[in-house]
Amino acid sequence: MSENVNDHGAADITTVSADAPQMQPLAKNPKGVEKAISALLLIGIAAFVGFGVCYWQNAAYWTYGALLGLGLLAMGAAFIAWGKYLLPRGPFVEERHVLASTETERSAFAAALMERGAGEIKRRKVLGTLLGGSLGVFSIVALFPLVRSLGPLPGDKLAVTDWKKGQRLVDINGNPVNITDMAVGGVLTVYPHGLENTDDGQAIDQTILIRVQNEPFTTMKGRESWTPSGYVAYSKLCTHLGCPVGLYEQQLELLVCPCHQSMFNVRNGALPQFGPAPRPLPQLPLAVDSEGFLIAAGGYNQPVGPGYWERP
Amino acid sequence: MVTMRSTLKKAAAGFSLSIVGLAALSFLATPLESGAATKIADDGLGATAQICPSGTTQVAGKVGVPANLVNENGDTAKKNAGTAYSDVQCYNAAGEMVAYGNADILYELPSSSLIPLGQQLYMQNCASCHGVHADGVLPNGTTGNYPDLTGLGPATINFWVTTGRMPAANPRDVQAMRRQPRLTVFQSNAIAAWVNSLQPATPYIPSPNLKGANLTVGQDLFALNCAACHTITGGGDALAYSTFAPSLHVATPTQIVDAIRTGPGNMPRFTGNLTDSQVRDITAYVAESIQKPTNIGGVGMGGLGPVAEGFIGLALGVGGLMLVSFWVGDRSE
Amino acid sequence: MTAVLKPRTKRQAKEAAGPYGKVGDAVAELDERLGIAKGGRTFLDKIFPDHWSFMLGEIALYSFVILLITGIFLTLYFVPSQGLVKVPMNFPYKPLRGDTVSQAFMSTINMSFNVRCGLLMRQMHHWACDIFVGSIVVHMARVFFTGAFRKPRETNWLVGTTLLILAIANGFLGYSLPDDLVSGTGIRIADSIMLSVPVVGSYLSYFVFGGNFPGQVVIARFFVIHVLLVPLIILGLVGAHLALLVRQKHTQFPGKGRTERNVVGSPMFPVFIFKTQGFLFMTFGVTALLGAFAQINPIWQFGQYIPSNISYAVQPDWYMGFLDGLLRIFPAWQWNAWGHTIPFEVTFPAVIFPGIVFNIAMAWPILERKFFGGDNEIHHLLDRPRDVPKRTAFGVAFFALLATLFVASSTDVLANYFHVSLNTVLWTMRVLTIVIPLVAYPVTYKICLELQGGGTAMGKRKRPNDVVRTAEGEYVATQAPVRPGDAHHELDATPVPTFIAAAAVLSEGEAMAETSDESNGARVVDR
Repeated sequence: MSENVNDHGAADITTVSADAPQMQPLAKNPKGVEKAISALLLIGIAAFVGFGVCYWQNAAYWTYGALLGLGLLAMGAAFIAWGKYLLPRGPFVEERHVLASTETERSAFAAALMERGAGEIKRRKVLGTLLGGSLGVFSIVALFPLVRSLGPLPGDKLAVTDWKKGQRLVDINGNPVNITDMAVGGVLTVYPHGLENTDDGQAIDQTILIRVQNEPFTTMKGRESWTPSGYVAYSKLCTHLGCPVGLYEQQLELLVCPCHQSMFNVRNGALPQFGPAPRPLPQLPLAVDSEGFLIAAGGYNQPVGPGYWERP
Repeated sequence: MVTMRSTLKKAAAGFSLSIVGLAALSFLATPLESGAATKIADDGLGATAQICPSGTTQVAGKVGVPANLVNENGDTAKKNAGTAYSDVQCYNAAGEMVAYGNADILYELPSSSLIPLGQQLYMQNCASCHGVHADGVLPNGTTGNYPDLTGLGPATINFWVTTGRMPAANPRDVQAMRRQPRLTVFQSNAIAAWVNSLQPATPYIPSPNLKGANLTVGQDLFALNCAACHTITGGGDALAYSTFAPSLHVATPTQIVDAIRTGPGNMPRFTGNLTDSQVRDITAYVAESIQKPTNIGGVGMGGLGPVAEGFIGLALGVGGLMLVSFWVGDRSE
Repeated sequence: MTAVLKPRTKRQAKEAAGPYGKVGDAVAELDERLGIAKGGRTFLDKIFPDHWSFMLGEIALYSFVILLITGIFLTLYFVPSQGLVKVPMNFPYKPLRGDTVSQAFMSTINMSFNVRCGLLMRQMHHWACDIFVGSIVVHMARVFFTGAFRKPRETNWLVGTTLLILAIANGFLGYSLPDDLVSGTGIRIADSIMLSVPVVGSYLSYFVFGGNFPGQVVIARFFVIHVLLVPLIILGLVGAHLALLVRQKHTQFPGKGRTERNVVGSPMFPVFIFKTQGFLFMTFGVTALLGAFAQINPIWQFGQYIPSNISYAVQPDWYMGFLDGLLRIFPAWQWNAWGHTIPFEVTFPAVIFPGIVFNIAMAWPILERKFFGGDNEIHHLLDRPRDVPKRTAFGVAFFALLATLFVASSTDVLANYFHVSLNTVLWTMRVLTIVIPLVAYPVTYKICLELQGGGTAMGKRKRPNDVVRTAEGEYVATQAPVRPGDAHHELDATPVPTFIAAAAVLSEGEAMAETSDESNGARVVDR
């Protein structure tokens, strides 16, 4: 192995003649290249001045970026052309110095760590243990304010919505929905009464109401009374990743999630028919109050939205 | 040295010319629209203002949906929701209701004088699939292949025929595409008049009044109700099983209201859940902002979103700079 | 100390100054205090190999610089608050007038419409981000396929892969800041991905959002992370990346005069500085032109994010596309037992798969040593990809898998464009995701072997074969002779000169011209 020269600075002092072949510009016609670079730089200056004028005059939007870009490209090309064609063409060489230290130096470093450091800790075992313990406890409790204060514990909040028995369905403008309102094939996004302009109402309680036909029908066993006058309501939160399932195809009677195209059949309880969603959309049981407005006959019977660890 | 000087002279000339040119360019500034344009006009139209076409009698539409005008798919009890239960109803001398509506949208029935022409055109263009009685029953008795057109209202016919979807290019397609219409609006009105005469129903053919529309309401409702299928920029996209939501970039205001009120094909039917004022606002939003998008940042790339942007960024940005690096660096020895 | 007379005339001053004038004096003063001369000269003499593929990392570096500059502009106008405000009735974009929006959205549309050059800065920032991530990927591919990650550069490879992850994350955080419909949908999906993590998912979601989705704090938190935390880490890592590069020196392709013990190329000063400065301006210029002519992320057309609104055909920015694609095509396989759910249809594509991808990437130097025939030697000379067929084939197959997933994130666009059923497209992408990488590996392997067998030396221009018919009727192919101009003559490499001696005898006029146009930085020693 050659001598370990780790000292970067002690390179040789060399002198090269100015007409050595490596010192010549790459261009066969340096004067011509000079002219071209001058032209480029003048274009650059003009473009920058133009940018200034356009800014001052509040010109059309495209002029700002176009002139700025033109000037920058011209300057960039000028720099590159100068560096490539007018400066010494090279190539030049430098030696790689061996990165690794000598065996002696490595041993010295390791010895410093072990003898002075680890050795001392070994000799005073009790202190070492206690030190380790205190650092450990500190790093754990330091996480308390950094992590735990970020937000409340979820508790069972993920499993419930604000829908309660007897609550009217309202649209985004707060209007309740009468059973004579929607035609067959109609669709509407609804929220619990009073919550249509709240974050929770829009993010969690959002429900899609569809009039599938004029008469009630059964989506699943046990849900015979859930669809008065052919209206059916499902949670609008996709069970895949929580996107609002606002896309309804009335002839196919299919709810399609716009994000990743999970498809839910509205006649059989929004069972997923295609795509990545694993669970059906929870169905909201409906009823009609004395004035003919749709109300919830209860809350959702399962958590809405995407899956999570605690979901039964 | 000599050549340097002359080059500099030429450059100086060009430089000053370009400054002048750029200063001139700057005055091509396209100022953004001033705020004056969309004052929400309050014409003070109530039931007393004349909304009905001339030659008809205007009556306050206090009654519910006339029993003989119920749409087959069920109608809404809400007022001003595209049915005859609207602010005003308009009757002709013979006592037929030829129009209804309000200041936002007027729904009109094509003149009954078009019925004979309509029957003729229908038999030529539509009967082979939809049957001679427009009920979807073919001469050999088979039914169910093609829709029953009766009792759906003139707006339904207007939508399908004026967008060119009907007569169908390929009757076996899952979903017909918009194309150059085969029949004129006049002919479409005639066919609508005849089909409606078999079983009168609403909605009639709408003429939305876009003046004074509230584009903010339009955008909010569009985002809530329409963007899920048609995309927020109205470009349309493929839906389940070979169906698709078409682009909204060429629809006329009448066709837009047609579609909203009749729910063609797989599109939901929006009746009582949207008032005529809201439908008018949505239509204005589509006609103004969807069809003439504000692309102040440059080429809009069709509103396709991050997919198109990624292509451009990679191809022109990274690709262009790689070309620069081909110039700056050497090739392999 | 001898008394020194203050120079009174310009000529005296010139004589009093050293042979290198004021610059020389400044160097002397600084060196007395900081000792910079020795290291400084070594630094200026540093050699950079000239191959074009070594410039790709610079694209990334300079687009990061542009991100910083334009980003500072944006932070002066953006308000990271979800508090609600009303858009003024005289706002230039009519459909937003009177709308109730968050301050984040309002400040962004205000910046776009009412601040001169505001939209340009926004668009340049976004385009620079797309170019940043794209160029990191291209640069990483170059490093991978030429084996520049081998000993002693594994640390730098780790630093670089981390930079890629941070760039992607920061991009996502950045375009989510305006609180518009498209990016808000992305945040909703991110929340659901957090929820899908077993055991701690719900806590993760509640801690990040300060409660349930959407909460009031997530935009402000994203802002701090995007503007302060991640850029600081990126800056630090970029510094480490460059420092390692300077210390270990750049790799180079084998060729004339190039060995494991030297570096051949251009010196840092002035050649490389000029070229790289030019590259900075070119990157800046390309970004400015894109910002001027190509609209990106027009949030005024999307409107404020409202959790019950959704648009069809929403995609994340391109560098997240492979995740979106896998989320679309992955079957609905959830695990549900004993009162708990692990939604694998989310956890695998969004948590496990990227973990596998980036871990393979990070661990590649070790993987190659163990399984793909790599060695434990120090390498400063690069491989031609064809000479390491196993690595190249693996890289191509890996890339093909990711590319297929990118394509899978546009299933709806493909179905619409080609008029094919959406369901068919999805099934096709499922099959292709498995088939394409399995096919890509052996095909690439074979191609590498074919190219190796071609026999042409590195980089030499290929010469056509002359087909000659022998007298017996046999056809024989021989390589055509070298055409004039095809041979590439490179000079022998010399060390970087410390001093440049005066040119040989020239006419006085030429000598004057040469010295006055001297651009090498060192003045010719006084004769």
